[in-house]
Amino acid sequence: MTSYEVELVAPGDCDVEGIDSGRSETITVDEDEYVLSAARRQGVWLPADCQQGWCTTCAAELLAGEVDQSDATRYYDVDREADMILPCTARPRSDLRLRICQMDELNDLRAANSLPPGRSR
Amino acid sequence: MSDDKPHASGSISPGDTSERVGMAVLRERGLDPEELREKLIDAIGAEFTTYYYYTNLRMHLAGHEDYKEITEDARLEDRAHFELVVPRVYELGGHLPNDIRDFADRASCPDAGLPVPYDDESGQLDITTLTAEDVLEVLLEAERCAIRTWTEICDMTRDVDPRTYDMASRILQEEIEHEAWFVELLSMERDGEINPAGHFVRGEPGDAPYSTNRRFNDSA
Repeated sequence: MTSYEVELVAPGDCDVEGIDSGRSETITVDEDEYVLSAARRQGVWLPADCQQGWCTTCAAELLAGEVDQSDATRYYDVDREADMILPCTARPRSDLRLRICQMDELNDLRAANSLPPGRSR
Repeated sequence: MSDDKPHASGSISPGDTSERVGMAVLRERGLDPEELREKLIDAIGAEFTTYYYYTNLRMHLAGHEDYKEITEDARLEDRAHFELVVPRVYELGGHLPNDIRDFADRASCPDAGLPVPYDDESGQLDITTLTAEDVLEVLLEAERCAIRTWTEICDMTRDVDPRTYDMASRILQEEIEHEAWFVELLSMERDGEINPAGHFVRGEPGDAPYSTNRRFNDSA
């Protein structure tokens, strides 16, 4: 089983148990594991609701690395092109660096492209 | 009102209807009532879309009368969850989206649609290979999403907002029962395995023994 190092970077306005705002934590994620569940198991309580790659609550920006996002139920090409991912259904394919707490940014991106949930929220 | 005994009004002036103490007390305790309200709209959006989609899923369990009855219980209870929480959205200064498309778009759980191809030209679903197993899997995953959502709302409101917490925890109890029903049905249908739910279906369709609001509020 291959495992990867995943650095989670918390912006200054991100209030997540397990990471101080403005700091980062590194976790280990197996290749067949989702980033979000691995983070929570290791004490980093990333935000989430559906955990089915739909609601955007867990959205993160992919700063470095590659993920397999094929299990997400609502994920668009514009998300991928903007390096936005949904950690609840993202499996690592390399070491990763993620900026967490990006739901508003992803919803703004969706809205700018007339995609849901976009301006409905 | 006697000048000697003015209302104890906190930071809100007596008679001021532009603000709500029911929201101010949440803010004082560290919970953002607007953030909670928006999350509740997302969550009941999912209950509402699930009610719609279960209507369709139930139809396509033709020949499995037991599955249809159980899906009907889950369908009507999800509608009860929507009905239970709608007033809370308004208490928190919000409202339902005016456009139902917006409501569906922001639902916190995926559409529980039939897992079959749809022909845009003929407007027909291709149900030739649809099985009860396929439908039960959609039902199960919809319940699992709801469990996660209401658990998050319980986490947000525990020890801070007893009114919302009470609603969320009662909904959660039914969602967990629904998951157990569909685990039992899917594991037998698909794998021939016995995984009892541990309880039976309701006395009447839509009983919603934990979440229905009729018993304490006939007007809602």
